[in-house]
Amino acid sequence: MTTIQIPLAKPVQHSRSLRQRIADNRWVYLFMLPSLILTLMFTLYPIFASFYYSLFQWSGFTSQPFYIGMQNFSEVIIDSQFYNAFRNSFIFMFCSVPIKLSLALIIAIVLNDRALRLAPIFRTMFFVPVVTTTAIVGIVMTFIMSPFNGPINMILLDLGLMGRPIDFFGDPKLALYSVVGVEIWKWLGIPMIYWLAALQTIPASLYEAAEVDGANWRHKFAYITVPLLKPFAVIIVLITAVGTLNVFALAMTLTGGGPYFASEVMEVYIYRTAFGAANSMTLPRIGYACAAAVYFGLSVMAVATLQLVGARWAQKERAGISAAETTAGGE
Amino acid sequence: MSAKHKLSRRDFLKTASMGGLGALLAAQGLSLAAQDAVINIVSSGANITSDPVTFRWVDSGDQKAVFWNAFFAEYMEAHPNVSIQYDALPWNEIAQVVPLGIRNGTAHDVFQRPLSVTLAQAVNEGWLAALDDVIPDFENWKASFPGGVFVEGITGFNGKTYAFPATSNKRYGTHLLYNVAYLEEAGVDPQAGPMSADDFVATAKKVTENGAGRYFGFIMGGNQVNRWGAIVREFARMAGAISMGVGNFDVDLSTGEIPYTNPLYLEAIAVLLRLRDDGSVFPGTLSMNAPEARARMPQGAAGMILQGPWNIPIWLRENPDFDFNIAGQPLLDPPTLVPVTVGPGGSNEIQVNAAASDEAKAIAGDIFHYLGTYEGQVAWATLVGAADPAIFAEAIAAADMQPLERNALLMFNEQVRVGPSQIVRNPDTAAVNLELRPVTPNLAETVQGIYTGQIGDAAAALADLEGRADAELDRAIAAAVEKGAEVSRDDYVFPNWDPYQDYGEDKYAEL
Repeated sequence: MTTIQIPLAKPVQHSRSLRQRIADNRWVYLFMLPSLILTLMFTLYPIFASFYYSLFQWSGFTSQPFYIGMQNFSEVIIDSQFYNAFRNSFIFMFCSVPIKLSLALIIAIVLNDRALRLAPIFRTMFFVPVVTTTAIVGIVMTFIMSPFNGPINMILLDLGLMGRPIDFFGDPKLALYSVVGVEIWKWLGIPMIYWLAALQTIPASLYEAAEVDGANWRHKFAYITVPLLKPFAVIIVLITAVGTLNVFALAMTLTGGGPYFASEVMEVYIYRTAFGAANSMTLPRIGYACAAAVYFGLSVMAVATLQLVGARWAQKERAGISAAETTAGGE
Repeated sequence: MSAKHKLSRRDFLKTASMGGLGALLAAQGLSLAAQDAVINIVSSGANITSDPVTFRWVDSGDQKAVFWNAFFAEYMEAHPNVSIQYDALPWNEIAQVVPLGIRNGTAHDVFQRPLSVTLAQAVNEGWLAALDDVIPDFENWKASFPGGVFVEGITGFNGKTYAFPATSNKRYGTHLLYNVAYLEEAGVDPQAGPMSADDFVATAKKVTENGAGRYFGFIMGGNQVNRWGAIVREFARMAGAISMGVGNFDVDLSTGEIPYTNPLYLEAIAVLLRLRDDGSVFPGTLSMNAPEARARMPQGAAGMILQGPWNIPIWLRENPDFDFNIAGQPLLDPPTLVPVTVGPGGSNEIQVNAAASDEAKAIAGDIFHYLGTYEGQVAWATLVGAADPAIFAEAIAAADMQPLERNALLMFNEQVRVGPSQIVRNPDTAAVNLELRPVTPNLAETVQGIYTGQIGDAAAALADLEGRADAELDRAIAAAVEKGAEVSRDDYVFPNWDPYQDYGEDKYAEL
């Protein structure tokens, strides 16, 4: 009988210095370097630069910004347009996220059914809007939802559901929600893929065992799918929520924040104060826009912190599920 | 009168001479001179390099791009070693691309200044090369332009010229363009005389009734918010609420006051509300921008639009079967027609980058020189038409121009005058522009809010706007004074302003 000697893993040497540990793992750090540099350049630097410029009165045109301390912050905080945009951003998020995630989950569950042979085709169809240029989607949607000869209005009128066309993007009561509707359609594919990935981690054996025990689809959904998706759901909700706060391109192309600020979300507000005056004879207010961006960034960061907490909770849940699966497999 | 003031208008030539355009056009009649549209490049004597060189130019495009695309192709053929990169960008992109380019050393060799950057700021920042050193035979070239084009404080400082207004600014952007068939069907002929606002509303209603849901009386790009302000402002100004733009609001420079509580503004807004209440406005107007609204007209979507002359060449080129005509903006109180006032100087100012290479500056000088020749002006007038009028009156008369475009220029000559400028009077007021913050909501946004019903009390909203604009002007002046500028609210008062006359050097001397 041949014996094979398996080399034992080196014991972890906690006493090794940081430099030694980095040297041991130099290839890991080397491979991480490009993304680290890009993150520094395009994520961290803009964050700090925003805060820095928020302390200045600066149009972006002059070489010398004028230091004004916290004045921009105190001015932003009393601007009613800022609160309007802030509120609109969160209304947008609270409307979009539940609808988008629910629809995406339903679609994912259907597409996850192995009996559905054409699932890849449907999956692609639902994902196509995601890879379509946002600005193009915005422009096309203004035609599709136009109150004059727009297909959606024509269908509503032909079916007798409406007596007169609806001005989806021109009616101040509807504009924000119409943008939400387009945003849901445009980005539905992303949470659908998340849900599909999550669903595919659930062992088929669990469903088979439930069926043997006489469970119907409702039981399987309530007692297998939902509990096992919960850890993923936390992450998916939070990622989607943060993403839904970033809807600049769509909001600009569909309504530009109008009519009369009815659909102005924070990003449009920041753009308007930073560059929107470019068509008038007033100078852009980069510092002021940066101050607004800092406030908004902090609120997004609060949501992201929830994401971090959620991720840790999900990690623990997943660990528990894996342990249970291992135990079940052993039995 | 201080020496500073005298210096600021020393080179201010009589803008009234621009009025010669009308007489010349009239003398020439409306007949078209058969001009060859081919660009005939005239040598300026500039020392153009024979080495390969890339020359870069950015401006706001539109109809100008038609000229530049044709011209640059000819120029590169004449100078095979010169490669020209022409970028036609919207103003909001120019506002970002030019300053960024200046900061990182990649700015175009020739550019249009962002609208909100005054010449004083650009010169102080060292952005601009003096054209005196760039254009061959500069003094004679400059002298070939009519008075009022080059204005100290607007196009130059301290005797140096930094900006070249490539086109005349004698035009306005809210005149009537209409579908001839629809208005004939409604029994209305805008050529019969100035249309009253009441007639305008009634005509829109009639056209809408005739359209029975297929077309409507009036259309505008209501998603492009500035359109609301432009229409209301011109209604009010042409009825007598005279003003000039300061920051993103208006100031009646005869009194120095903000004019928004003038009842004419409410009357102007009422015109739009009546159109809305009659159902005469094209559905979806609030969700389309100005180019979309423009594109709907040739499709027969509406009978009338209040827009600018830049539509004319576009429709003539892209929709040759569309039967349309133009007229002045309807009047609130005809026959009262107070001319629309524009600032001194011209429009579409172009500048040479101070950091451009000597080779690029020589090319820029050569091209600028061409625009100061009769041949260049005729070519411009022929290719650009009424959208951005050429400066030489004789070139407009000689250009092979469509009758509609010629009519538009004649109309502008009657309805547009040059108004006063606080910057010409006191260049220190440029420092106030640096301090001015946008007043939000401004007139355009307020009118849109009133139209959509989001603002219930129009009078209160206008009074509020007036108060905010007034306070902002005071604040900006105080801030500029604090930083050393010698300015006061008095610099914004021109008691001798007669809107029926061009405000020329003699008027400044009277102050």
